[in-house]
Amino acid sequence: MTATSAAALPVTTDAVPVARRLAVPLWIGALLVILTFLVIYPLLMLFFGAISDSNPVIDGFGKFNPSLTHFMAVLGNENVRLAFFNALVACGGGTVLAVVIGLAFSWIVVRTNTPFKGFIAGASMIPLFVPPLVAGVAWSILGSPKTGLLNTVLKWIGVDFRFDFYSMSGLILVFGFYYAPYVYMFTASALRNMDPSLEEASEVSGASAFTTLFTVTFPLIAPAILAGSLLSFVVMLGIYGIPAALGAPANISVLTTYIFKLTAWSPPLYNTAAAVAILLMVVTAIFVWAQQRVLSGRSFATVAGKAFRPRSLNLGPWRWLTFGLALAYLFIVVVLPTIALVIAAFRRFLFFKDFDAVFDTKAYSWVHFNSIFDNPLTMISIWNTMKVGVITAVVGGVLAFAIGYTINRTQAPGRKIIDLLSTIPVAIPGLVVGVAYLWAWIGLPGGLYGTIWILALAFVARFIPDTVKALSTSFMQIHRELEEAAWICGRGLLSTIATIMVPLARPGIVASMTLLFVLSVRELGSSLFLYTSDTTVMAVLLLDYYEGGNVGKTAAFSLVQTVILAVLLGITTWLSRGAAESSARAG
Amino acid sequence: MSAALLVEDLVKKFGTGKAAVDGVSFDVPAGEIVVLLGPSGCGKTTTLRCVAGLEHPTVGRISIGGRVVSEPQRGTLVSPRERDIGMVFQSYAVWPHMTVHQNVAYPLKYRRKNTSGSADIDTKVRETLELVGLGEYAQRPVTSLSGGQMQRVALARSLVYRPQLLLLDEPLSNLDSKLRIRLRDELRRILKMTGMTGLYVTHDQSEAVVLGDRIGVMKDGKLLQMAPPGEIYNRPADSFVANFTGAANVLKGKVLERKGEQAVIDLGAAGRIEAWTPQPLVAGDNAHVALRAENIRLGERGPANSFTGRVIERRYQGMQTIYDVEFGGQRVEVLELGTAARHNDGEVALTLPPDSCWAYRDEGQATVD
Repeated sequence: MTATSAAALPVTTDAVPVARRLAVPLWIGALLVILTFLVIYPLLMLFFGAISDSNPVIDGFGKFNPSLTHFMAVLGNENVRLAFFNALVACGGGTVLAVVIGLAFSWIVVRTNTPFKGFIAGASMIPLFVPPLVAGVAWSILGSPKTGLLNTVLKWIGVDFRFDFYSMSGLILVFGFYYAPYVYMFTASALRNMDPSLEEASEVSGASAFTTLFTVTFPLIAPAILAGSLLSFVVMLGIYGIPAALGAPANISVLTTYIFKLTAWSPPLYNTAAAVAILLMVVTAIFVWAQQRVLSGRSFATVAGKAFRPRSLNLGPWRWLTFGLALAYLFIVVVLPTIALVIAAFRRFLFFKDFDAVFDTKAYSWVHFNSIFDNPLTMISIWNTMKVGVITAVVGGVLAFAIGYTINRTQAPGRKIIDLLSTIPVAIPGLVVGVAYLWAWIGLPGGLYGTIWILALAFVARFIPDTVKALSTSFMQIHRELEEAAWICGRGLLSTIATIMVPLARPGIVASMTLLFVLSVRELGSSLFLYTSDTTVMAVLLLDYYEGGNVGKTAAFSLVQTVILAVLLGITTWLSRGAAESSARAG
Repeated sequence: MSAALLVEDLVKKFGTGKAAVDGVSFDVPAGEIVVLLGPSGCGKTTTLRCVAGLEHPTVGRISIGGRVVSEPQRGTLVSPRERDIGMVFQSYAVWPHMTVHQNVAYPLKYRRKNTSGSADIDTKVRETLELVGLGEYAQRPVTSLSGGQMQRVALARSLVYRPQLLLLDEPLSNLDSKLRIRLRDELRRILKMTGMTGLYVTHDQSEAVVLGDRIGVMKDGKLLQMAPPGEIYNRPADSFVANFTGAANVLKGKVLERKGEQAVIDLGAAGRIEAWTPQPLVAGDNAHVALRAENIRLGERGPANSFTGRVIERRYQGMQTIYDVEFGGQRVEVLELGTAARHNDGEVALTLPPDSCWAYRDEGQATVD
């Protein structure tokens, strides 16, 4: 923060020194320049790349032969169409499954007396923290058609059926299971906020519980269901790890994996990749726009006058069935993959002669862990990941604070444009951010390309909307008058921010920064195009191991990554709770 | 077909705490409207919800039209949809994703003993909407209606299938005061026209008086008195009932003697006062006398309970005037109707008619806000 917003203070114009009068335009200008540099410039370069056929690496920077025919040719390409179709089928199917699971879960947790509801509600959020590639790896170990652990078990018990997760249905299943929490988050809160007498009225009218569910409850939370499913669709569309792990062996390309394949070609087809990335971005933007429309529409569910406790349906003995369903879900998304990773990581070979071989201790060893830590890249990647995470958290946190404050707390002209620019990345999948940054910097000699800064800046750009939104929420909870009181006391704007806003918003600031840190540690999509061997990060190295074909090393490194992520999550939760508590005491 | 409701020794406990409803018994003969009146948390809504079947009683028996619908001791529990009741909720609970017509037709469509064809449904819905004054609004989405109109939709929805019993849970409390008065009077007209048996819950005494054939006053899960409105207002059986229905003046004293329902109370410096009492007071008991501000007559010397006091403060309120009057160390509020304030500060005669003075045993806690 280097300037003050004089516009927010009542001062007479002739008394204002030139420096103060220029402060606001300068401040807004600076934010605009930063956002243009982070968001607009890479997007423009991506756009130019998509409509030209010059290669930035070979032809050097700034040589464009713009021609729309190139872009149209890419869209007409059969492989692109197939990848597009596959993406829609996989994400559409996954979304349907996610809605079924998410809706069932929110009903079980909010509306029934199923035992251990709190535990179920908490544990069902775990899939949100699992990096997609780790989930993909675990399910390839479990469900590969020949050596998958599930199939080994089926063979032992003499069942003829075999799973094949290297398939479209495998993709749909894993997508649906891991992105159900997005639907759950929306529907559970809608159910919780719903006036229970709406359902009671139906019951008194003579409708059965089942009829009530489908004629009253679900129609009422339809906006939440739609918003949740659109969000989960958008997230799936941008995921690289799961289709890379499960689709690639069966030659099923979706848009994300196809884009990466194009850049891995020799020579890399950067222009085609940019064109497909634009396609992915447009589709994403349409769905994000639709979701925002749904969310801004009037919500049916919250029209109650008085406070109420949510209705809880007494299921009688059936509550053990719902409990069992919840446990089965947790088993599938958490326990089973963990077992698979542990077995694969500690076993020398992933082959079982018979059932007893599972408990043959001689078959287990640390050999895979030794081998990954013998590789110098492993430590480099962990170290790089931490550095990128810290830079992203600090730079992104400060920038988001500046933007959030300017948007929410000042009347400065131009804040609407800043709001808009900082929201754009919502509609850009991580992979597209990666391609855009590649286009923006690869041809520039001595630029950011090849440093860890390009990764960090790409992450800042990718996550700025979420961070600003999170911070804005905590700003809104601080009443304006608290600031105004400080101004009346004779404090300047900067001093007010430092003594009032920062201390009061501290829990929000800490939470946003830790969120940024965790998000950047697990980010794969945008890293794929921006790393070099010196700047590799954990997520990328894991992909390397997986594509190298060594299941043991892949599983071992997945575990290492998961443990690091879990420890970081633990520390950051503890940190933000500490911040929240100390500020609660101060308040 | 409207039917009688019988509630016997109803007890409802939530968790392990104090009983929310503690041994309540009453009956509602067919075609009558009974109002349960009391402050929030007195157990009136819980009682109503037990009758509806939305809460499950701990002990006691509830029968509608001679059929036992709830008797936990015998394991009897009929689900709400099998009880043939209608219910109007405080929050209206009209379904915002449906039109007025769809809301009202819903029970006809989904009730188990559904014998009506769709033409029949249309007729019934139209008739009921006419009855509540919403004939023109059938095809509107309910979200476009005002609060009062939504509550009419809710009423139509609960009347359309002519249930045996209609339950109303503070149906007017979300409306603004003018609308509340209008809808209150209309509600009575509609209920009486349909001949419906009704159980009505409210914390508003004026609603209770207008709507109820009988009023039951509840406090802390207990039913204190159940009687016609005139009796509740003129012969309150309990000091809480007296206070809750508006007898805000309390005079403390000692019982000198009692004859039947007449008692004489010594108020100390102020002298003696004659009062009616429903309780078996004996000489020497600590007692308090409750009376309403509008039953005290200023500037009059009646045959009994006549005192000389002093006006301390006068609050002119337009259509009425309130005086703070002191006599012999006691202090009362007096209300006189009329746009003219007739008495000035200073000495004044006042009469407390013995019939309007009610004496109760003083158990330490006398007033409720």
